[in-house]
Parts: sequence; structure tokens; C-alpha cells
Amino acid sequence: MIEFHHVYKTYPGPIHALKNIELSIEKGEFVFLTGPSGAGKTTLFKMISAYDLATSGEIKVAGHDLTNLSGSSIALFRRKIGVVFQDFKLLKDRTVFENVALPLQVRTERPASIQRRVQEVLEQVGLAHKADQFPEFLSGGEQQRTAIARAIIHKPGVLIADEPTGNLDPKLSEEIMDLLERVSAQGTTVFIATHDHEMVKRRNKRTLVLRDGVITEGSR
Amino acid sequence: MKVQQKSWMLKISTLVVVTACFTVLFTSLLVSRNLSKLLAFWGEDIQITVYLSEESKPEERKTIHDWLLTQKSVEKVAFIDQQKAFESFQAQLSSYAPNLNQDPDLLQMIPESFEVKLKDDLVAGSEVTTMANLKSKLMKLSGVEEISYGQEWVEKYSAIVSGFKSGFNGLGFILSIAVLFIISNVVRTSVFSRHEEIVVLEMIGASFKRIRQPFLFEGGILGLVSSGLALIICYSLFLLTQQFSNKKLSFLKVAEHIEFFSLISISAFLFMGAAIGALASYLCVRSLNDGFSGRQRGHLE
Repeated sequence: MIEFHHVYKTYPGPIHALKNIELSIEKGEFVFLTGPSGAGKTTLFKMISAYDLATSGEIKVAGHDLTNLSGSSIALFRRKIGVVFQDFKLLKDRTVFENVALPLQVRTERPASIQRRVQEVLEQVGLAHKADQFPEFLSGGEQQRTAIARAIIHKPGVLIADEPTGNLDPKLSEEIMDLLERVSAQGTTVFIATHDHEMVKRRNKRTLVLRDGVITEGSR
Repeated sequence: MKVQQKSWMLKISTLVVVTACFTVLFTSLLVSRNLSKLLAFWGEDIQITVYLSEESKPEERKTIHDWLLTQKSVEKVAFIDQQKAFESFQAQLSSYAPNLNQDPDLLQMIPESFEVKLKDDLVAGSEVTTMANLKSKLMKLSGVEEISYGQEWVEKYSAIVSGFKSGFNGLGFILSIAVLFIISNVVRTSVFSRHEEIVVLEMIGASFKRIRQPFLFEGGILGLVSSGLALIICYSLFLLTQQFSNKKLSFLKVAEHIEFFSLISISAFLFMGAAIGALASYLCVRSLNDGFSGRQRGHLE
């Protein structure tokens, strides 16, 4: 589902953000990515979500070769993945329902079908009763669950989450991780960047460790 | 909430400024157009008078007459013999010199002539060249003594019309560019205030069209509404001018000869307003979400 072959990323300077990354993550896998700040985690995630180009090497995600992805096909590719951020990135002037419905509206799906699917996903993340609320009236955990609902509503093949629990307390963090594990159990590849080593240990999942742009542990 | 209020204030103030620009633009066009019509009307009595020499023979007159009728710019040619010219002269000066008809020598002094009327559909401003050309050709014909066509008036009138047209064209160009910049700036502010939304739309795979469309629509509507308001203001000014002319300048017959834009022109101006607005937005958002814009901005940072 996610494949990196000899991937290098160098920024002007030169700064070698990623060096010879070899990586393979299978469909439905649940994988953590850890490492100190500045190790290259965010750069790696940018590559996976087509926000940045590799300097050299080959990247394949959800069947798309990202090295040769042109302008309009980037949008189509992003419809096959889900992204969750530490700061949620919810639209403040839209309700929970409207935020979650966005990916389906972008695909111009029928309103009845959007209504049904949003309801389903909100029940899955335990927010059905908050559908009409605006994000500013939700707790941090609820906001992150809304962001996750938005990221999985279109049943993506890959879900990447950049520090999804970074702004949450331990109890809420566990709730979010439980939710992400349930998503993975349904066949979605879940790839999470985190600094929370305790939680990584407790979850006992495959873990990649990135240091100075090199994967030092967990690579296959 | 405060951001939204500011955004609305900005949109309203932009609407006012763009409307003002369009009003000046449309008013200039209307003035230019009506000025041409008015000057053409005031100048429609301009005619060429071809004075014949005393020794001119009937066959020479016929040659001149026939030659004039073959000219594309000539509408009508009338021969004025001495008697007719004398009567006209007498009529014009009857109040000043009632005893003119008692002077037999005067009849002999007045030359015969051809009065030449030019076609009305000649473009205002081109008369000077037309008349000068006719004069130079006529002077080569035998039997022609002198040509008169009120050169000074024609030249001034032509210069005024050309001056106004050039001025209004320049003004129109500058104002169109100004409108482009103003609308573009508003849309840029709008893009900035909706940055988060754009990031999210990019992230969930919205097409370029979907992301750009609201901004193009916003610019187009702004241009359309502004040009519509400008046309309403322009029409009000036109009605006021008409009323004023009827009351104070009726002797100039201004009100009878000025007219507002046709329905086709109005539609074209509305379309132009919307197009300028959409173009301004497009210039602003063309680099937005070109697929790699998100990469350059580093939204995941």
C-alpha cells in the first residue's frame, strides 16, 4: 500500500532530510513512525500525501506512482487517502456534519447518500449527537474524532496521521488510538507519526524509527 | 465573526470604488458617443461652395457638376445662379440694407456657384481630409474660381472630436486596469481569509476548478453588480442632462440629439463588467492549487 525505494529528499543548503528510505507497508497494517524532532517525519508524510516531491527514488501509495503524478491527478490521488493533523484543521464556520461531509461533496455525491454515510461515520466515532455543533464548542478529543471522521468517510486505502494525539490528554489519546485501530481493522492502512513512546510501547504495533533522515528500526 | 465583518466591509467598499470607476468609464463613453453625434448634427450644415469664374462656360459648369456627382462623399449638388445668389444674399441682409435690390451693379458682382452637401454618414472628424481632397481636385478643373468650406470651423470641430475620443479611450484603458487591480486585491484578501478552507479542500482532493470557482464567481459577481450600478447612475446622469438641456439649452437642441446606450451595448457592458471581475479573480487565483502549490507552501508544516 505504501512503498518507498531508495528515496532521497534534499532541500537547498543542502539539507538531507531523507536518505535512502526503503519502506513497505501492507494493506490494513497499523504502523507508528517515531523519532526525535527534525528527524524527517513530517517530510516523509509530505511525500506520502503528495505535498512534496522526492529528490530521487520511487514512491508508490495506494497504487499511484507519486514520482510521476501531475497537477490534476494529485487531487484524484488525495481522494484515496485520508489525512489527520495535530491541529485538526476543521472549518470553524461549518458544523461537525458539514466538516465530515466535505470529502463526499468534493466528489459531488448525492445529498441523500452523503447524509447516510456521514451519519454512519459519526456513529462510528461516537459523535452522532454533535452533528449540528460548531467545532469551537467541542472538546479537543471530539474535534480530533471529527477530523478522523472526515478522513475516513470516503473509505480511504491509507490514513496518515501526523501527531494526532499531540494536543490531547492521555485518556483522550487512548480513545483516539482505539478509534484508529478500529479503522485499521476495517482494512485501511494506518500510518501514525508520534512522539508518545509510552503509547507506542503499550500498543505493540510495528514501529519505524527515523533518525537524521534514515530509518533505523522497523524497515522491511 | 470580526474577520467576516471586516471582509464584508471590504467587499462593500470595493463595490463602491469599482462602481465609481465603471461610472466614470461609462459616462466617458456616453459623453464621447453623444459628443460625436452632437458635433455631427451641429456641423451637418457644413457644405462646400464652389465659386465659378465670370468667364466660365456652360459646358465647364456641366463638367464640374458631373464630376461632383461622381464623388462618393458628395450627397447633393445644387447650382446657384446669379439671380438666386442675389436673392439669398438679399434675404439675409434685408433687415440691414433694405435698398439692395435697387443696386443693379451688385447682381453682376455676385458669382455663380455650386453648393455641395456631403454625405451624413461620413465619420465625424474625417471631413477635414475629405474637404481638402475635394478642394485640391476641384481647383484643377477649368471654370473654378474659389472654394469655400469654412475650414476653420471644420478643423476645430474635427480636432475636438478626435481629442475627446483619444482622451476617453486613454481614460477607459486606465480605469479598466484600475478595476482589475482593485477586484484582484479584494479576491486576494478573500483567498487569505479562507486560507484554512483552501488547505482543507486541497487535502481532501478538491479539483482545481472547485477550489477556484468560488473566487471567480465572487469576482464576476462583483464586476457584474458594479457595472449594473454604474449603468444605473450613468442613466440617472443622462436623464438629468436631458432635463437640464430641455430647460436651459433648448436652442442648442441637445436633448433631441443625445441618446443612452442601446440594449445591446448595456448587455455588453454588463458582460464586460463580469468578465473583468472574473479575469481579476483568475489573475489572483491562477496559481492556487496547481497541484504542487500545496507542496511549495508546505501545508503539513
